[in-house]
Amino acid sequence: MSLIPRAAPAASMAFAGRDPAVISLLKMLPLLLLLTFSSAAAPPAAASPSAVHNNNWAVLVCTSRFWFNYRHMANTLSLYRTVKRLGIPDERIILMLADDMACNPRNNYPAQVFNNENHQLNLYGDNVEVDYRGYEVTVENFLRVLTGRHESAVPRSKRLLSDEGSHILLYMTGHGGDEFLKFQDNEELQSHDLADAVKQMKEKHRFKELLIMVDTCQAATLFSQLQSPGVLAIGSSMKGENSYSHHLDSDIGVSVVDRFTFHTLAFFEKLNMYSNASLNSLFNSYDPSMLLSTAYYRMDLYKRALNEVMERYIYF
Amino acid sequence: MMMPPSTARRLCFLSLLLLLLLLAAAASATADAAAAEEFTEELLLRPLPDRKALAHFHFRSSAPPASAAGRHHHLFPKAISQLVQKFHISELELSFTQGRWNYEQWGGYDPMSTNNAKPPGVELWAIFDLPLAEIDATWKNLTHTLSGLFCASINFLESSTAFSAPRWGFKLNEGNLRYGALPREAVCTENLTPWLKLLPCRDKAGIASLLYRPSVYKGYYHSQKLKLKSSQSLGIILDQTLTVVLQPNTVSGKQLHSTGGQLQPSWSMEHLFSKKLSGKCLVSKSSRVFVEIEKGIVDNVDKAGSDVSSNNDLFVLSTAPDRSLKELDNLEVQSSSLYEYDVNNYNSDKPLNVGITWKLPLIWSCTRAPYHASRFLMGSGNERGSIAMSFLSTGLDKQLVDSSNDCSIKAVVFQVVPWYVKVYYHSLEVFIDGNSKAISEVVDKIHVTPSEDKLLPGTMEMLLKFPCSMQLATLTLDFDKGFLHIDEYPPDANQGFDIPSALVSFPEFNSSRSYPEADPLFVSPLLENFKEDGVVKSYTEVLLVPLTTPDFSMPYNVITFTCTVLALYFGSLLNALRRRIGEEERGLKKAALVRELQFALLQSQSQMLRWSTIYFFCWI
Repeated sequence: MSLIPRAAPAASMAFAGRDPAVISLLKMLPLLLLLTFSSAAAPPAAASPSAVHNNNWAVLVCTSRFWFNYRHMANTLSLYRTVKRLGIPDERIILMLADDMACNPRNNYPAQVFNNENHQLNLYGDNVEVDYRGYEVTVENFLRVLTGRHESAVPRSKRLLSDEGSHILLYMTGHGGDEFLKFQDNEELQSHDLADAVKQMKEKHRFKELLIMVDTCQAATLFSQLQSPGVLAIGSSMKGENSYSHHLDSDIGVSVVDRFTFHTLAFFEKLNMYSNASLNSLFNSYDPSMLLSTAYYRMDLYKRALNEVMERYIYF
Repeated sequence: MMMPPSTARRLCFLSLLLLLLLLAAAASATADAAAAEEFTEELLLRPLPDRKALAHFHFRSSAPPASAAGRHHHLFPKAISQLVQKFHISELELSFTQGRWNYEQWGGYDPMSTNNAKPPGVELWAIFDLPLAEIDATWKNLTHTLSGLFCASINFLESSTAFSAPRWGFKLNEGNLRYGALPREAVCTENLTPWLKLLPCRDKAGIASLLYRPSVYKGYYHSQKLKLKSSQSLGIILDQTLTVVLQPNTVSGKQLHSTGGQLQPSWSMEHLFSKKLSGKCLVSKSSRVFVEIEKGIVDNVDKAGSDVSSNNDLFVLSTAPDRSLKELDNLEVQSSSLYEYDVNNYNSDKPLNVGITWKLPLIWSCTRAPYHASRFLMGSGNERGSIAMSFLSTGLDKQLVDSSNDCSIKAVVFQVVPWYVKVYYHSLEVFIDGNSKAISEVVDKIHVTPSEDKLLPGTMEMLLKFPCSMQLATLTLDFDKGFLHIDEYPPDANQGFDIPSALVSFPEFNSSRSYPEADPLFVSPLLENFKEDGVVKSYTEVLLVPLTTPDFSMPYNVITFTCTVLALYFGSLLNALRRRIGEEERGLKKAALVRELQFALLQSQSQMLRWSTIYFFCWI
C-alpha cells in the first residue's frame, strides 16, 4: 500500500506521455509483484513448523489368529489399556484384533484376557471397543487405515481421522521375519509396503510425528525402508534375532505376554497422565539380557533430541 | 346497568390473560403428551427344567414422530434415530448370539423361545421404506454403518453373495426385506459395550448394572438383540433385549432331599450376576423385575394341593413380590404365573436380590413346538453331499385333533445356502415315517432362487403340509461342492464353511402369553411383547461343510522344486558343453607334475633349514 504513492510519481514522471491505462497498470505492477512474492513465500511458512501438536491417535494391531497366539492379543490389549489409561479416548484408537480370545471356547475365563499368570488384571475390561476384528484384519485394511483411502461406506469409527497436528502411535505385534510381518498366517506386510504407506501419510499431512513400535521376530528389519521425516521406530529385535515370550501361564495353557511388551508395560505402569518421563528413559530401560534380544530404535528421521521428548508429549 | 369503564377494561384484560394462560397450558400439555420420550427397563427370571436359569433383560426406548419433537433427543439414542432417517428403515432386527437354544429342555412354544431364540452368530434383517431399486445399495451402506456402531464384521453382509430377499418364507413383505446371517461371527464384550451405550443410564445404574461380563459370557446361551420399529404415526420404538441362560453356581446345588430326589438348585440374582440391584435408572419410566413360574411347575404346585403364592410347599421366593399376575389362556385355565417386583421400592441401602429356594424335588417340562426341527449333512468326500432336514413330532396335539385325513400341520421352511454349496433343488425328496412320498403330496408351495457362482446364494422358501398323525418326516437335498479362488479362502480354511441356520415356522400355532394387568397405567413393554400374536418359530443348527482346500504351501513348494530341477538341468548342460575330457586328463597330469616338483623343492628347503640351524647351535 505504501508503495503505490512512491511508485506513482516515479511511474507518472517516467511515463508521462503514455496511455493512462498503461500508467495505472504500471502503478499496480510493484504491488502485484509484492503480492506474488509474498504468496510464493507463504506455503513454506504454512508447512510443518506452523503445525501444532493438538491430538493423539493410536493404531494397535494384532496380526495373529489361533489360540496359541494368545500372547499377541494380550500384548495389543495391554497397550490398549495403557494408552486409554494415559488419556487417549476410544474415538482416537483404532484397535485391530485378528481373532477372539476372550470369548474363545478354549478360554477358561470368558470375557477375560490376562497378560500375567497372577490374573490380577483383566485386560478386556468392560468397555473395550474393537474396530477391526477377525477376518477384517488384512494388509489391505491396515494400509487403508494408515493412508485414509477407504470406500465411501466405511464408518467414521473405522477411519484414522488424523491431521497435520497429530501424534500417532502405531503398535504391531505378531509373527515376523526379515523385512516382513505376517498377517493371519495368510499374507505379509513387507517393509517397503509400510514405508510407502508412511510416505503417503506424510504427503497427505496425516501426522506430525509417528512412533512405530513392533514386537515380532527380527522387528528392526521392518523399518529398513522408512524415509519420511518425523518417524521414530522401535523394534524388539535385530535382524537374525528372535523375540521371545515372557512366561507360560499353566492355567490358561499358553504364553500370555512377550518380553518386549512386558518390559515396555513395566515402564509405563509406573507412569500416569502427568508424568514427565522421556523416550530416552524408555530406551534405557530395555535390557538385552532380560529381553533376550537387542531392542532397536531408529532415530535418524526424528529431528528432536530424545531426552527432550517426553512421554507425556507423545501421549497427552 | 353499565360497569364503570376502568373495571370493564380490567375485567377484559383479566379474562384475556386467563384465556391465554389456558391456551398455553393446553398447548404445553399436548406438546408434552405428544413429544415425550420414554424409557423402561425390565428383567425376567425363570428357572429352567435342566437346573439352569434364564435371565431376560428388556429395555425399551421410544421416540415420538420427528415432526413433533424435532431432532433433539434426551433419552433416545441419537445414533439410532439418525440410522432410521438416513436409511429409511421401517423395521430392523439385529441379533448377536452365542450358543444354541435347547428347544427340548427350554421350550419352543412360548413367546420367549419364539422371539429370543436366535441362530448363532449375527443375524440381520431390515425392511426399507424405499423404491425396490434402491434397496440393495441402502442395505450395503446400512451393513457398514452397523459394523462401525457395534464393533462387528457386519460389513461382510454387503456383498450380494451374503444376503437374500425372501418374500414369504421369513416374513411376508412386498420385496423390501433383506435378510443376512453370519454364523461364525464371535460375540464378546466389544459388542455389548456399544449396545449398552445406547441406554440412557448405560450400565452404571438400573437393571443394566447387573451385567457382570464374565457371568454373561460364561452362560450356555446368550443373545443380545436390537429391534426397531419406525412409523410416521408412532415414531421410533427401540427394543433392546439380552437373553442369557446361566448355570447358577450354588454350593447347595446338589442337595439330595430326604425323599431321595435331587433338588433343583436354589439361586438368586447375586448367584447369577455377583451383584444385587441397588436402584433403578432414574430416567426410566418404570423399572421392574419379574419371576416367571411356568405352567409345568404351577401344575405340580396345584397337585401338591397348595395355593400358588410366592411361598408354597414346593418353592419360596426370597423376597415377597409386589404383585403377582396369572396367565389366562383361551380356556381360562390358569397356566403360568408371574411375580413382579418394582425396583422403585429398593435402593442402595436396601438392594433387591430376588431368588428362589426349592423345598421339594421337582421335574417339569416346558411346552415344545409341534415338531422338533433339526438339520444335518449326509454323504462323504469333497465332491458332493446332501442336506437333510428332519421333523420329529413332539406330541403336541393340534387343538381339535381328529383322525380324519384332512388334519394337517403346516410348516414353512426358509433356508439360504451359500453359492459354493451348489444345491440341486430338483433332487428334493420327502420321507414321511420312512416312506417316500411324492413332492406334490407334501409341498404346498415352494419358491426357489437358485444360486449363481460368486453372485447369489441359493434361497429356498417352502410351505409343507404334514399329516397330524406323522411321527417323523425327513427332507433331503443333494448338493455339489464348488471351488473357491485361492484369494477367497479365509485364513483358517481347514475349519470348513458354514451354512447358516434354516428357519422353520408353524403358522397355525400362536405363541402368545397374556398376563392381564389390573392397572391400565402400568403397561409393561415386556408383557406387551408377550401378548403379541406371533407364530411359533424354531431355528435349525448351523452346518459345517468341509470344502476342498488347495495346498496353500503349494506355490512355495513348486518354486523350490522347479528351481532345483532347473539348476540341475542347466548345471549338467553347461558341464556337458564346456568340459573336454582329454584336456582335463592332461591338465591333471600337468598339475600332478607341478605339485611333485613343488614338494621336492619344499623338502630340500626344509632339510637345508634344519642343517643350518644345527650348525648354528653347534657353532654357538
